[in-house]
Amino acid sequence: MTEKISLQFPSKYKYLNLVDILCNGIIRDIGVDPQTATEIAVSVIEACTNALEHGNKSNPEVNVRVRFMWDDQKFVADVSDSGEGFDYMDYLRHIPDPSDIEHIRGRGIFIMKEMMDDLRFEYIENEGMKVTLEKSISG
Amino acid sequence: MKYKIREREGVVIIDLSGKLMGGSDADIFKECIYDLLEDGKKKIIVNLGKVTWINSAGVGILITGYTTMRKKEGDLKLLNVSEKIKSILYVTKLNLIFECYESEEDAVKSYS
Repeated sequence: MTEKISLQFPSKYKYLNLVDILCNGIIRDIGVDPQTATEIAVSVIEACTNALEHGNKSNPEVNVRVRFMWDDQKFVADVSDSGEGFDYMDYLRHIPDPSDIEHIRGRGIFIMKEMMDDLRFEYIENEGMKVTLEKSISG
Repeated sequence: MKYKIREREGVVIIDLSGKLMGGSDADIFKECIYDLLEDGKKKIIVNLGKVTWINSAGVGILITGYTTMRKKEGDLKLLNVSEKIKSILYVTKLNLIFECYESEEDAVKSYS
């Protein structure tokens, strides 16, 4: 990865907008097609929302950490929280049908999985959960 | 998130603006829907034209409004859905649930 930008923000919803602005700025600068740009931006925000809500329990004293990396082939975003982590594979086995309107929430991971080329979860001892989103931008 | 309510030909139009996401937005919107039901208003259009930003939690808020209305034999339809919101609706197949319109006139007429 030739280019990297990192930021961290307190676990407050209002800062998601800043992440969106930065992410969109980077994507626009890279010059990816509009569909890919939308899919990356939507997925990054879903990852940040999960980190803020589920990982950091919306505790404003705890930061969400985001790192964007890209070259002319792919775009990668790492989003890390300070939570206890969860069993991603187990979650996938019980993932709710996203079109089931009886479920108000729980679509974030499904959306990321569908929109990105690769989605990885990693629990880092004494640090928290890290989700890595990867998408080809080579066209 | 902010909203304004107006009425056209017996149809309530909720003009949402700003960011639509989790947290307090869900309670604000739910209260708005309950107030409308108390007033006997069951034909609802949610205008998303001025929503600058949304996530899946925001879509969940719209689902709450839709299911609440449907349970009371009402309906909730969407107007001016941006490409970003469309992409979330399509990938989750919620485009099959929500009726979406690009013109307010068509959305209002759909209730007649």
